Amino acid sequence: MTIREFLSDRLGKMILQLCAATAAVVFLLATGTSPGVIIILLLFFLLICMVTQISDYLSCRIRLSELYAIMQGLDRKYLFTECAPPPRTVYEQKLFALMRTSGRAMITAVSDAQASVRDYRDYIESWVHEVKTPITAARLACRRMHHEDRRKFLAELARIEAHVERALYYARAESPEQDCIIRQASLSDIVSQAIGTHRTLLLQNGMKIQTGNLDFTVYTDTKWAVFILGQLLQNAARYHRLPSCRTQAPPIIKSFTIKRMHTYNQPVHSVQRQRGKYIAQIKDSKSLRRNPPAITLCAHPLGRQVQLAVSDNGIGIPAHELPRVFDRGFTGSNGRLRGGSTGMGLYLCRKLADALEIDMHISSKEQKGTVVTLIFPAKQ
Amino acid sequence: MQKIMIIEDDQFIRDELALLLENEGYLAVPVTDYTDVIKQIRVHKPDLVLLDLGLPGRDGLALCAQIRKSSTLPVIIVTSRDSSADEFRGLSLGSDDYITKPYDVPVLLARLKAVLRRSAGVPETDTIEAHGLTLSLTKGTVSLDGCTMELTRNELKILAHLMTHAGEIVSRADLIDVLWENQIYIDDNTLSVNITRLRTKLSGLGMPECIRTRRGMGYQL
Repeated sequence: MTIREFLSDRLGKMILQLCAATAAVVFLLATGTSPGVIIILLLFFLLICMVTQISDYLSCRIRLSELYAIMQGLDRKYLFTECAPPPRTVYEQKLFALMRTSGRAMITAVSDAQASVRDYRDYIESWVHEVKTPITAARLACRRMHHEDRRKFLAELARIEAHVERALYYARAESPEQDCIIRQASLSDIVSQAIGTHRTLLLQNGMKIQTGNLDFTVYTDTKWAVFILGQLLQNAARYHRLPSCRTQAPPIIKSFTIKRMHTYNQPVHSVQRQRGKYIAQIKDSKSLRRNPPAITLCAHPLGRQVQLAVSDNGIGIPAHELPRVFDRGFTGSNGRLRGGSTGMGLYLCRKLADALEIDMHISSKEQKGTVVTLIFPAKQ
Repeated sequence: MQKIMIIEDDQFIRDELALLLENEGYLAVPVTDYTDVIKQIRVHKPDLVLLDLGLPGRDGLALCAQIRKSSTLPVIIVTSRDSSADEFRGLSLGSDDYITKPYDVPVLLARLKAVLRRSAGVPETDTIEAHGLTLSLTKGTVSLDGCTMELTRNELKILAHLMTHAGEIVSRADLIDVLWENQIYIDDNTLSVNITRLRTKLSGLGMPECIRTRRGMGYQL
């Protein structure tokens, strides 16, 4: 609280005091008191006023700075009224009681919300465990199916599992300390587990896997790292450059449709761009036969860390979308074009990677490919 | 015949597992009453226990610790609880392996076999024989009538799979699956190249028509 603020706060009162003093002087003069006595009385009155104002100001300042310090030291600011010392004046006490009631209501609301988040997380977790039982049963049951049918069936089961896993890790990412154990782990183990988990999807999309030197020891939670890597592999398998059966040619736009679409507020240029991309894909398909969709995983030491680079030669991500790919629910133009994108994969990766202290970077060139680097903590 | 006890509360999975294990040449003992598992173990004397953790009214981990206290019987925990913390707890309570649901059937069988082998102290089978060919897995060689040929890692895995399924038709997709399980990430073209090389090597041993192509179905030894 500055002096100016204090004075502006007290201005009305001071003017009133001055008016009272002036009235007193006029009254005393009228009753015939000698001016010397009046001056002495006036000086005495002003002195008392000043002293009380200054002491008020100082005590206000001390009290405020004390309260500010308490607020600063608080981890959860909404607990302020529980920690502040009770005031002395009755008026302040009343105000304080009001604040405290409001604060208590807030604390109850917050803890209720936290409890329901926790309950929901627990429910999701137990639901995921429940749903894994029928998936296991289905896996066991499909052994007797015909060869090709079984393959298709297993591929669909793998898709269900991938979604279930994402739900599980979404719930877990809220309180990572509960399930993750950071231990020494072999990077090549993590990579082969992740590839093994998504084998069906990778094979289905004809992905070529190349692995470089992966003989490193890192400090991480194997399961979580496998999940993160699995998301990257899934993305690479889904956004490869061959026009898959799901990609359909966007409509050829004639001049009149352009006008009409324009009036319907549709971004025409994006449809044109998609069509252009599609034609480029067909042109590319010849070179793709020589250069099939591939994922390369290789690692190198980086001081006290190990860097794992996961690169693909897929359709890439437009430069202006790159900063947003880790956002929750962001699907981007690729996701919209190919469909079935949830915008959760990379968001979860970033969240889990942060909890594991893995640095995650992404770089991409459209129609060339994407490189995601994961920097794991390791011992030199 | 090795006896495997199945402690699993889901009836469908229990029955399927029992069927699967019996087809694989084991004797399956499904448990339906979880109150006196220890007694049942004493009666049946299984060689291995497949234990599900989520039993009704019974803590699977405590059961695992109880089994471990009274015997060295190998226990494999099969559960849908898959966090590292759970796995750590399971293994520290003395289980021999920890497999999470939903599992790949071949992976489950392979790990089961590995645990049984470890507990029996039997060394891994090193050689496979079929059609007069002898394949040595540790040396990476194939021999016929005293002549020996060296194989690459990929060729070795392919031939091993074909020889263990001698007479059956093995599809290309199955072969690729098997190779991927062994961290060999090859594609269709590379598989063809490897098969051609393998055939050349086998014809060098005097068996040119050993691996037959069954059009539209796969390969057959």
